Amino acid sequence: MFVSDQSRIGRNYIAGLREKFPSAVIDEEWQTADQVTVTVKPNSLPDVVAWLYYDQGGWLSVLFGNDERPLNGHFAVYYVLSMEGIVKSWVIVKVLVDAVAQEYPSVTPKVPAAVWGEREVRDMYGLRAVGLPDERRLVLPDDWPEDLHPLRKDTMAYNQRPAPTSDTETYQFVNDGGESRVVPLGPLHITSDEPGHFRLFVDGEDIVDADYRMFYVHRGMEKLAETRMGYDEVTFLADRVCGICGFTHSVAYATSVENALGIVVPPRAQAIRSVFLEVERLHSHLLNIGLASHFVGFDTGFMQFFRIREKAMTMAELLTGARKTYGMNLIGGVRRDILKDQRTKTLKLIAELRAEVTPLVEMLLETPNLKQRTQGVGRLDPKIARDFSPVGPLIRASGFARDIRRDHPYAAYADLPFDLHVMDGCDVLSRVLIRVKEFYDSLNIIEHVLNNMPEGPILVEGFAYRPHAFALGYAEAPRGEDIHWSMIGDNQKLYRWRCRAPTYANWPPLRYMLRGNTISDAPLIVASIDPCYSCTDRVTLVDVNKGKSMTVPYKEIERYGRERKNSPLK
Amino acid sequence: MNAPVQFAPKNSQGMPVPISESEHIAQLKQTLLGDIQRSAYVYRVDCGGCNGCEIEIFSAITPVFDAERFGIKVVASPRHADILLFTGAVTRSMRMPAIRAYRAAPDPKIVVSYGACGCSGGIFHDLYSVWGGTDQIVPVDVYIPGCPPTPAATIYGFAVALGLLSQKLKGTHHEEVPGELASLRHPGVPLDVRVLLEREARRMAGYLHGGQIADDFMGLLASAGTPQNFETQVHQHLASKDDPRLSEIFGRLQVLCSSAIGASPT
Amino acid sequence: MFKLLKIISKAGEATEKYPFAPMPISPGFRGKPEYKAEQCIACAACVTACPPNALSMRTNTAEGKRTWQLNLGRCIFCGRCEEVCPTHAIVLSPDFELAVGNKQDLLQTACFSLTDCAACGTPFAPTKEIDYAVALMVQSGLSASEAVAMRAHFETCPDCKRKLALASVEPGQYLRRGNP
Repeated sequence: MFVSDQSRIGRNYIAGLREKFPSAVIDEEWQTADQVTVTVKPNSLPDVVAWLYYDQGGWLSVLFGNDERPLNGHFAVYYVLSMEGIVKSWVIVKVLVDAVAQEYPSVTPKVPAAVWGEREVRDMYGLRAVGLPDERRLVLPDDWPEDLHPLRKDTMAYNQRPAPTSDTETYQFVNDGGESRVVPLGPLHITSDEPGHFRLFVDGEDIVDADYRMFYVHRGMEKLAETRMGYDEVTFLADRVCGICGFTHSVAYATSVENALGIVVPPRAQAIRSVFLEVERLHSHLLNIGLASHFVGFDTGFMQFFRIREKAMTMAELLTGARKTYGMNLIGGVRRDILKDQRTKTLKLIAELRAEVTPLVEMLLETPNLKQRTQGVGRLDPKIARDFSPVGPLIRASGFARDIRRDHPYAAYADLPFDLHVMDGCDVLSRVLIRVKEFYDSLNIIEHVLNNMPEGPILVEGFAYRPHAFALGYAEAPRGEDIHWSMIGDNQKLYRWRCRAPTYANWPPLRYMLRGNTISDAPLIVASIDPCYSCTDRVTLVDVNKGKSMTVPYKEIERYGRERKNSPLK
Repeated sequence: MNAPVQFAPKNSQGMPVPISESEHIAQLKQTLLGDIQRSAYVYRVDCGGCNGCEIEIFSAITPVFDAERFGIKVVASPRHADILLFTGAVTRSMRMPAIRAYRAAPDPKIVVSYGACGCSGGIFHDLYSVWGGTDQIVPVDVYIPGCPPTPAATIYGFAVALGLLSQKLKGTHHEEVPGELASLRHPGVPLDVRVLLEREARRMAGYLHGGQIADDFMGLLASAGTPQNFETQVHQHLASKDDPRLSEIFGRLQVLCSSAIGASPT
Repeated sequence: MFKLLKIISKAGEATEKYPFAPMPISPGFRGKPEYKAEQCIACAACVTACPPNALSMRTNTAEGKRTWQLNLGRCIFCGRCEEVCPTHAIVLSPDFELAVGNKQDLLQTACFSLTDCAACGTPFAPTKEIDYAVALMVQSGLSASEAVAMRAHFETCPDCKRKLALASVEPGQYLRRGNP
């Protein structure tokens, strides 16, 4: 898409960059009015990213590799910065990596937020970030062969399954807290959601450090999108990135393709997308507030929140035909309109939800247990938050006003009434309170849109796919922003699709949130980032001082978390 | 007597193969089904699902669906379980944890494969990092399809697993009969007009509502006979629905239709 | 505490009666795809559109047959098949009671005959699809005899069509275009 000089939002950052690092910038390419990709020399990469990040109000949203050898003979690594200084825009820093040396300088020592991304680039492309302090495997399973990098264009077919190299887990966990007991949690668990494995390093009752092995659910979607599927099919795949905020992912993906091709989505389609997105926020926030009640030992509240949550699910079924808001997007619009019957019923459900949630929330906040268990617990220090670029209610509860709906409006959000809720308690309580407030905002947004629906079509079609055009798409999920980056291919398939879920950005700082808390608070803290995964099933305790090790069922830790009596560590 | 049981069996190429179940255990399972009645303990094994299934299972055990009415209770450890509920397409990382959970549950146990991913790998069925469904690693007794299955479908599935309700769905096969013809829709409306109306209706209201609206519109068009008659019938139809959005869409279809029919020679 | 009890008593009996009574379902719910094989022309539009490959087709040229298959165990109930089907042979129904003990019961298949190419004799297109194309010609205003006359054209495979088209071109016709 051609973007004229005057309409370029964020050109100040590029001008500043050229002034500060006169010889660093090789190329500058505008994808949309507020998205620019600058190619820099590898040696300047860490300084350029650090300058944009710390000096210019940037946040590292995602970083990813791309095998561009068929296009320009090189690999490439992209660092996507959401600029949230005075001018809100996207600056994507790109570096070309030599196809033979396969090395580039690591940004992590300067900007810690890059750590997971650079580990993933190594897994998927075999590119080494020189100076990266943590070179362990991140995404690929432990039984995956060394030196087989799935996303390289020339390594393997998407459906090739190498024989497992091992039947045991080989991941090395890191402990910076000195000698302590080890508490592994997971990967299977009773409470909710997905598998993941935690190691808590404890001294007595106190957590001194924590590490985790995630990506038990790595399925290889990015490779799938490049191979088996066409553009429209990927929207249905994007739905299934996450079972709670699936629609948000598919909006982010569709937006990325629409941005790359300059497709203007009709206003009615944008309005409908906003409604569905907020329906998702409704049921997700009710789920999380319910879980918060559960983890502080208030199960009756949990059941009550789930009872009411069913109304949000009914709303989803009414509007989309499925209880999950799955399968509603196409490139260029949506698949279902909202007619009178659905509109009337939805407005009625909104009124019911408002009436029923209000007393329940009052009751929850008056429960002494809640405040006592959540205030000052799981603190995310604003400085740590600044270093790791977390997203969603987590960062808003640590005093930063970040919300993609405000910073980079998409769908119909530029014209919708809602407040950006920020608190500075930095603790679990603040996160719960922010979710409560956002819940009411969502009700208001849905009501507002349904009463002010634009006319016209809900879908545009008949556009041409331009090979190798690329752009970002984004959407604020209930737990933080989803960022997608798509590059169009030349065979009716994507050349590259990168999708980053919010929890990906929220895991790395969790380690710091756990430190200094007690074991009984761990499930609560983990749940407070509203991960697409909640807790764990099995706990091994290793006490280095006493030289003994024991295994405790997860239920026991969870029980202890709720009752705080009869410590399993004794 | 038998060859030693492999904990996680593999074939000669080193690829995982499903665990097989002895006849003795299968017999015990029938006894278990006879005795279990209304006390079934369920352990969930997430083999890399997207969370959709997990949350719907949650919904099924909370007040509105309340599976505990039927004695179905989710337990914290596979050692307590009668039923193992596998979700997800079985990612490589979850193969061993899932097998460990399966081995930990006492025999005889009922295995339920839950959701499209569990039943067959779903949308991920042939990917490099999954094995493609529950039955690729363990023997399965009941499949509950859905993406995700609704809580009601979950309750139905449990009822089938426990033998309380009988299975409704049967596999079907159709063999073409000579002379079999697909019928045309709206044969009274010229093809180009029909395509024009259907496309516009889909663009305005999506495949579902748009399809219904186009059908209604062409139904009126075919039955009306004269243009005046059609105007009156459309007016009546819209008045009975009293939906401004529907009137907007009908208005667009009318404009398209009259210009298309007016331009065509017939 | 008192507040909580009040909420609970107000909520009363929240549980659905299902399975003892039918489950209330919103109109437009996306359940089991209901397939009418009589209406299917085996055109494969649904197979191309199906994101998880729950729909598939196998062509057996030796026998001149094409088999359509729906695997309900893999279906994600997106309704793309309904959206793209030109004959409304597949429509999503509200039925959600799909659990089975035997995996084979999740499969629905239909077998259609293929017509041989009039020129080369290789089976290439479903007979029903050709019949449908002829019927569409009638709907678009051709007389029945005109439509039947086009049948030979429909019964020629794309490869042979290309060859025939080339053969009908006068040699040098394309060369002349470049030289005014």
